[in-house]
Amino acid sequence: MGKRLLQSLILSSALAATWAVAAEKTAIQVMHQGDPGFVAAYGKVAERFEAANPDVDVQFIYAPHDAYNEKFSAAVMAKQLPDIMELDAPFLANYVWSGYLQPIKPLIDKDLLDDMTESNIAQGTYPIDKDLYAIGLTDSSVVLYGNRKYLEAIGARIPKSVDDAWTREEFETYLEKLSKLEGVKWPIDTFRGYGIKTEWITYAYGPILQSAGCDLIDRKAWKSEGTLDSDACVDALAMMQKWVKNGWVVPQSAGTNQFYAEGNPAALALGGHWVYAEAVAAMKDNLVVLPLPKFGTKGASPNGTWIWAITKTSKHPDIAAKFISFLLKDKEYRAYVASQSGYPGLKSFAAESPLYANGGPMAIAFEQASKTAVARPPHPAYPTITSAFMQAVDEVFNGGDPKEALTSAAKKIDEDIEDNDGYPPFGDQE
Amino acid sequence: MSDIALSIPQARAARPRSVARVLRTIQTVSIFIIALVIVSPLLLLVVASLKDDRFQILADMGSFRAFWVSNPTLSNYAEVGHLSGELAFGRYLINSLIILVTTVCSGLIVNSMAGFVLAWGSLRGRAVILAVVIALYVIPQESIIMPLVIMVSRAGMSDTFAVQIVPWVASPLYIFLFYQFFTQLPKELLEAAEMDGASFFRAYRSIFLPLSLPALATVSILMGIETWNQYLWPILVTQTDYARPIAVAIATFFGQDSIYWDRAMAASVLMMIPILGLYLVFQRWFVSSFIGSAVKG
Repeated sequence: MGKRLLQSLILSSALAATWAVAAEKTAIQVMHQGDPGFVAAYGKVAERFEAANPDVDVQFIYAPHDAYNEKFSAAVMAKQLPDIMELDAPFLANYVWSGYLQPIKPLIDKDLLDDMTESNIAQGTYPIDKDLYAIGLTDSSVVLYGNRKYLEAIGARIPKSVDDAWTREEFETYLEKLSKLEGVKWPIDTFRGYGIKTEWITYAYGPILQSAGCDLIDRKAWKSEGTLDSDACVDALAMMQKWVKNGWVVPQSAGTNQFYAEGNPAALALGGHWVYAEAVAAMKDNLVVLPLPKFGTKGASPNGTWIWAITKTSKHPDIAAKFISFLLKDKEYRAYVASQSGYPGLKSFAAESPLYANGGPMAIAFEQASKTAVARPPHPAYPTITSAFMQAVDEVFNGGDPKEALTSAAKKIDEDIEDNDGYPPFGDQE
Repeated sequence: MSDIALSIPQARAARPRSVARVLRTIQTVSIFIIALVIVSPLLLLVVASLKDDRFQILADMGSFRAFWVSNPTLSNYAEVGHLSGELAFGRYLINSLIILVTTVCSGLIVNSMAGFVLAWGSLRGRAVILAVVIALYVIPQESIIMPLVIMVSRAGMSDTFAVQIVPWVASPLYIFLFYQFFTQLPKELLEAAEMDGASFFRAYRSIFLPLSLPALATVSILMGIETWNQYLWPILVTQTDYARPIAVAIATFFGQDSIYWDRAMAASVLMMIPILGLYLVFQRWFVSSFIGSAVKG
């Protein structure tokens, strides 16, 4: 009887101890997006982190890519912001201005901060206080992919560096020649299949306007009218409309890849760095990576990707930062990102990625980051800027008048800025 | 001469018969082609789910190879069907089934009761309530979704099954459908039941509800499809895989950079089966309900 009592006491004490340990665990919530590969990779990193920190429980909140902003808005309204959130870099200014994020410099491991590339620092920095609010393992860019066989057949010049990029005249001449080449159904795939619910249009087509000598908004006066609807922008968008009208561009209905699909119906592709892995697997040596063409006197390319930030409402910012640092240093996670042709945002990660090193097949993409990258406008009105611009491009691609569409977009952007009194202190900067 | 004279009327009689036969053949072929067009996306979905290479699926699109698989495999189903882990689609499917069954069953009870009270009840201001119900129907869901998010989060309902069921049980459309159906039944049924001593609720439960099978079937199917396809609402009010439905899980396959067609197709087939089952169960009454309303109309 005494033995049974002792056993019961030991069992109860063990259960109580287990419960106490479980109760002591600090939970941190991480909101993110991503495909199944990344979802699984994050899960494995969390397992390793929890093994190294048994008192922490990492909880993931997944939001599909196309409904991420809606999920974020709902979390704000319900006052259920997570500790860590993944965010698309151009939306950073809006989130900081709205008071959702906190500076992370004092929290993240110093060796990681020193390891960031300039472009990575730029994408995570708020332009008003110049403080760092987010960090990522990666950055991004868009290049022009080419089908070597087709390009050789029309006698096209193959640029060897960013300085050597095609001019607008060369580019349009090649498009026309390719349109007449046997086997080519469309001269270029601009991945219209990504649609207008993603950032693609602003991200990839915005630099065409910037290269042509204009921009989405004046970055000093923060006014869109007079810039987005300027002659240079109208001319650039009319040029793209001509490509569509001529049947040179893969239509949206043809899906998200006709460049490396069987038979290679598209000869060129204006594609993100992430296209490389699948394209090279399908095309082998027939794949050529080229810099984005110059549509005016200078080149322009996009940057920025999904990066990690800590919310102001986090009760455990130190643990959140510890997890972010752990994630960015995790060897297996880095290996997975490298296998997906992840574009380096840390110098050490660049050194581990022969793809982007000098002489590497994607070296041109990395060269663009230092020579031609133009960040999307770091302004709190960015959600309106991108939405208005994407609608204008979609309208023009469907036959609308470029001048009218851009004027209407510029008006929408300026109205939003006026409605928010210039988003102070942005307006005060002038 | 006589042979010719006899053959003329026979030829005249044969012509309409052969024309009818040709017309029938054209009709059959047309129906077959239309059926093929309707079924082909589903066929493509099933065939693609049996291919093990997502790049092959992409390459086959746009040609007849999209409808053919030389080495069928169930690996995509095995991949998406498991019940635990980060990509537990089996778990999501079970969540969807729980939400579907609970919402539809509760919806049938609540909406039919409301419809019955509005049709034959003795409450004051019935006409006004009916007008309000109809007016509520025209308010788009999108306009109330954010206030609703705040309400359910303040009520502590986030990340539960209840948050995906309770707000959608009562629906103006289904209340109105039941109301219309009940008003078409003779009032004498209610009077006879009352004369026999049955309560108002007993009359509803024992007489009117059993007679409303076509309305129950119609509402089950419409409500089932609506619940099954909910996407934005579960994203907004759930955080983890505890109560998330499969429609949200499938979105994982459509990443920013790449689309996992193979697993997306397998998950879509799995997602399609329960709702197809629901339709097949209620199909007879669903069709008769439509025919009935067309004849009465």
